[in-house]
Amino acid sequence: MDQFLQQLLNGITLGSLYALIAVGYTVVYGIVQLINFAHGEVFMIGAFGSLATWTIFFKGQLGLWVLPFMIVGAVLAAVVVALILERVAYRPLRHAPRLAPLITAIGISVFLQEAVRLFYPGAKSALPFPQIDMVTGPAFQAGPVTVRRSAVFVIGALVVCAILLWFFINRTKMGRGMLAVSQDPDTARLMGVNVDRIIAVAFAIGAALAGVAGVAQGLQNSNIDFFIGFMAGLKAFTAAVLGGIGNIYGAVVGGLVLGVVEAMAVQFIPGTFGGSPWKDVWAFVLLIVVLVFRPQGLMGARVVDRA
Amino acid sequence: MTTSAPERPAAAAPTGSPVLEATGVVMRFGGLTAVNNVDLRVNQGEIVGLIGPNGAGKTTFFNCLTGMYKPTEGQVKFEGTVLPPKPRAVVQAGMARTFQNIRLFANMTALENVMVGRYCRTSAMALTSIVRGPKFRREEEATRARAQELLNFVGLGRTSEHLARNLPYGDQRRLEIARALATDPKLILLDEPTAGMNPKETEEAKQLIFRIRDMGLAVVVIEHDMRFIFSLCDRVLCLVRGETLIEGSPHVVQSDPRVIEAYIGKPDEDELEEEAAKEDHA
Amino acid sequence: MTTSQTTAAVSNPRPSSQWLITLVGVALLIIGCFLSWSYVPALLGNLSVNFFPGAIQIFMIIVGVLGLFFLLLRKGLFPGAHKLLDSARGLRALSVTAAAFMVLVVIVIGLQAPGLANADPGVFVTLVGALAMVAGSFRMPSDPTVDPITVHLPSWVEILVIVAMLTVVLFGAAYALGQEDGTVFSLFLLFLAGLVVALARAGLFSWFGVIAQRNRRVIMLGAFAVAFLFPFTQNGSDANMSIATQVLIFATTALGLNIVVGLAGLLDLGYIAFLGAGAYVSAMMSHSAFANIGWKPPFLVVVIISAIVSSALGLIIGSPTLRVSGDYLAIVTLAFGEIFRLTVNNLDGNNGPDLTNGPNGIPGIPELEIGSFNFGDTHNVLGIPLGRFANYYFLLLVVAAIIITVFTRLNNSRIGRGWVAIREDEKAAEAMGVNVFGLKLFAFAGGAFLAGMAGSIKAHQDVSVTPDQYIFLESAFLLAAIVLGGMGTVAGVLVGATVLKLLPEKLRFVADYRLLTFGLLLVLMMRFRPEGLVPSQRRALEFHEDDADLAERIEDAHIEAVTPMEGRA
Ligand SMILES: Nc1ncnc2c1ncn2[C@@H]1O[C@H](COP(=O)(O)OP(=O)(O)OP(=O)(O)O)[C@@H](O)[C@H]1O
Ligand SMILES: [Mg+2]
Repeated sequence: MDQFLQQLLNGITLGSLYALIAVGYTVVYGIVQLINFAHGEVFMIGAFGSLATWTIFFKGQLGLWVLPFMIVGAVLAAVVVALILERVAYRPLRHAPRLAPLITAIGISVFLQEAVRLFYPGAKSALPFPQIDMVTGPAFQAGPVTVRRSAVFVIGALVVCAILLWFFINRTKMGRGMLAVSQDPDTARLMGVNVDRIIAVAFAIGAALAGVAGVAQGLQNSNIDFFIGFMAGLKAFTAAVLGGIGNIYGAVVGGLVLGVVEAMAVQFIPGTFGGSPWKDVWAFVLLIVVLVFRPQGLMGARVVDRA
Repeated sequence: MTTSAPERPAAAAPTGSPVLEATGVVMRFGGLTAVNNVDLRVNQGEIVGLIGPNGAGKTTFFNCLTGMYKPTEGQVKFEGTVLPPKPRAVVQAGMARTFQNIRLFANMTALENVMVGRYCRTSAMALTSIVRGPKFRREEEATRARAQELLNFVGLGRTSEHLARNLPYGDQRRLEIARALATDPKLILLDEPTAGMNPKETEEAKQLIFRIRDMGLAVVVIEHDMRFIFSLCDRVLCLVRGETLIEGSPHVVQSDPRVIEAYIGKPDEDELEEEAAKEDHA
Repeated sequence: MTTSQTTAAVSNPRPSSQWLITLVGVALLIIGCFLSWSYVPALLGNLSVNFFPGAIQIFMIIVGVLGLFFLLLRKGLFPGAHKLLDSARGLRALSVTAAAFMVLVVIVIGLQAPGLANADPGVFVTLVGALAMVAGSFRMPSDPTVDPITVHLPSWVEILVIVAMLTVVLFGAAYALGQEDGTVFSLFLLFLAGLVVALARAGLFSWFGVIAQRNRRVIMLGAFAVAFLFPFTQNGSDANMSIATQVLIFATTALGLNIVVGLAGLLDLGYIAFLGAGAYVSAMMSHSAFANIGWKPPFLVVVIISAIVSSALGLIIGSPTLRVSGDYLAIVTLAFGEIFRLTVNNLDGNNGPDLTNGPNGIPGIPELEIGSFNFGDTHNVLGIPLGRFANYYFLLLVVAAIIITVFTRLNNSRIGRGWVAIREDEKAAEAMGVNVFGLKLFAFAGGAFLAGMAGSIKAHQDVSVTPDQYIFLESAFLLAAIVLGGMGTVAGVLVGATVLKLLPEKLRFVADYRLLTFGLLLVLMMRFRPEGLVPSQRRALEFHEDDADLAERIEDAHIEAVTPMEGRA
């Protein structure tokens, strides 16, 4: 039982990270029906953005007060890159055959990874991430469960982001415009919604959350490298599909479920196929199983495609 | 040049045995009931018209018949057997359709478009296609010949090597009909086959539909052009807001006040204007 | 420029000033090439001897001769050909190439000699000539009567043209491979690209496209013959054969992927894993000391088993995914690629059974042996020694031929038409009775089958298999070859694969920027030329939905190509 609770917490921590990234896949998909493969790389850029902010302005400082600046740095870097991508690479292809934006996204992914590897000083190998006071350091004990400080940060970040997101979508004009576009872009356009703006905003929101996730990743793993976006992106996409792609709350639920499944698989799958070397494999097996049995995801309702 | 597509004997009588029997078809999208409890029976060699104002659910009903949508309720029987809601099974059984918003394979030639229609009546699989024995070549030759024959039949014999997307609008509609005919259907469903045509083309389309009927096929036509419908069809079904308003001979439907009301009368002014715009366009 | 000007300029038999300027430019260009370009003999090959042009000077002489040809063409010296080639557009491209080339040469001399004091007058003579060509040709009006696709030559001439073309390709490839100096190699590429662009601008390739379509079999056999003869030009040297073998295995794999991506329109990002599956099966059944399967059947059986295992994996991945929207396939295949890598990485006995020897892979795979023919030995044919790489090269050539046959024949069949229909409009295809799911699954699993086949050979040729040979970036690399070359064409993939594989081999300084460039390449190609360098007409149409001109042109060319000879006016 203690084992179980511990793994549950570990799973929720991991899942919160996935959820933060998964939202980006899902908002963009909901609005333009595009899988932004490069989103994992946006997350990676966020992590490097916060590292760069720290290195340039706060080198040596580890007080908690630095953290907000690092988060801002991460979010800025991620959002700027995502907006550039949208404007330069995706927007011109909006009416091109499906294959074109997908291939573009692959290209961007490889390009961003390589750009960071080659041009960020020292990024050819992993770089240490500043260990900010309070959110890193010795773990504390809550009953039978050991809680890492960074876990509190990640889960807290997810909660705050989810609440902000809820307000944005339900309480602002822009947010309602987003809902309108996702339901029927043509009508929304006729009703005077600026679709281009909305799409850009969707990219920006996804990127902002991915930026926060980037900071969380750095704090948790204590180092980052140019390749972290690949696996994180894949997992987050799995989470988005799991929750029902296009459904924002689905992405959060999907992320948490995926995280928990992974944590439990490590602990409870017996024999030589358990353990951490196989956890990624199990995550992807879950993806395929979901596609077979419930392609609309856990939270998605089956919709009739327009013929 | 053959101008008629042979193979099938001419219909014995306009009211032959039933080909299609749809009963109690309902289609809901969330809260919207687009088709509500519609019955339709089509006999061999018959031309049935389907009319109704915009948004009445005509196209949705077609989609239910052809397996593009799985009806929420109801059943579609073709020649006595219930059809599964799979487009491919429907075509295989002998029901083919055209689309309201033309959906040709735009970057294929006219001939290739029709050859795709032959897909379900041919069988060459991977190994046959790679090895290219005499059987493959015979089938390929027959497919090509049949496609050309159908193009001649609809009057596109001379444009067979043109790209579908380069054809004029009216020709594209006729090409869609040829492609549907290539599946050897017993019943063909035409969704607004004369939309956007001028009077001369419309008249040609009418003659074409008569010729298709004379081959022994049953035809269901959606149209907004009343003169066209009433001079073409043996029977007319009028849908309004997803429900059957009236079904009967053109004469009966034409003179029913409710039909006129549905189109021109009460609902609201917008619809009327839209209708007028549509007529102008035609 | 107005039409009246244009016609006047073309019909005027008197040499116009721009024609004369260009002629002077060409003359200077050629003369300069026979003079020394630099005192320093070690530079850019050897350019220091008067009247003995070095390699890069010969490039410029070729440019000059071609320019002269265009100029004479303009004066009607080759009757009939004026309809074929638009000399002005060709000359413009040619002159820009020459100018860019010479500017680069001057820069290189300045940097490497070092200092422009070490340049001889020859280099400036040629540079001035190139600039004069630019000045002249850019004021030269185009010829509006050019209409290459309607030009008909006797079929033996067409075949001769094809043979000439292929010969040029053979010698070009052999030369490029043999070039050791990175700078000269880059200049050669620039020269080649310029030449191709000039001929393309002049309209040669649209004409070539029509005759290629008419003589498809000749091209195919010819290209195969050229590829077959290539090892005989190498005099037993292994250096180039090793690269050629790598290019070939890469191209072969890319061809298989092009069936999936180019024909069926499915984005398969885990293709390298299918290659890997084949390679691993083959390795595990080999006589390597680390192979963990006791059964050692003959190689031909292993090939079949590898292919079947790969396609079975394809079926397992494809059948759930291909039912849902196409975008899922891309990401699920990506995930599959990772599963494959992780699995072969894990199966070392500690995590799961010991099958793949974990991260170390399976080393020491012995040379292939088919019957009594050992692929490691050197064999003499007609006195020319053919080494290990040549042996694998020939085997891979056979596999490539098989894949090309499968590719082209499927493309021209009921199945191929079904694929096109699916790409165009999946719903409409389904409504017309096309078995959408079945055809997609067939393409996907069939592609995996071919990859498995290629992989089983690759294992032996590489001597070892390791998990890190089969990572996502390799899949992206394959995709880049297809996107660069042209989705849905055989020639395109061959070009794309050759360029992508050869460049990093020859240009060490780009090696580190290799992936960065490929990423950028994918983005730029999708934006500006999504149909690739050697496009399939249909793909070009699909990617340019609203280009009515293009549709007209392609339709005309198609009607031209299918109209029988005797039916022509
Ligand atoms: N896939 C779908 N999801 C949601 N609503 C749909 C869908 N398909 C159709 N509808 C709705 O069903 C109603 C009926 O539409 P339908 O296209 O069948 O009308 P129609 O009679 O063919 O009209 P028209 O004459 O304009 O072609 C419309 O209100 C339409 O918006
Ligand atoms: Mg309709």
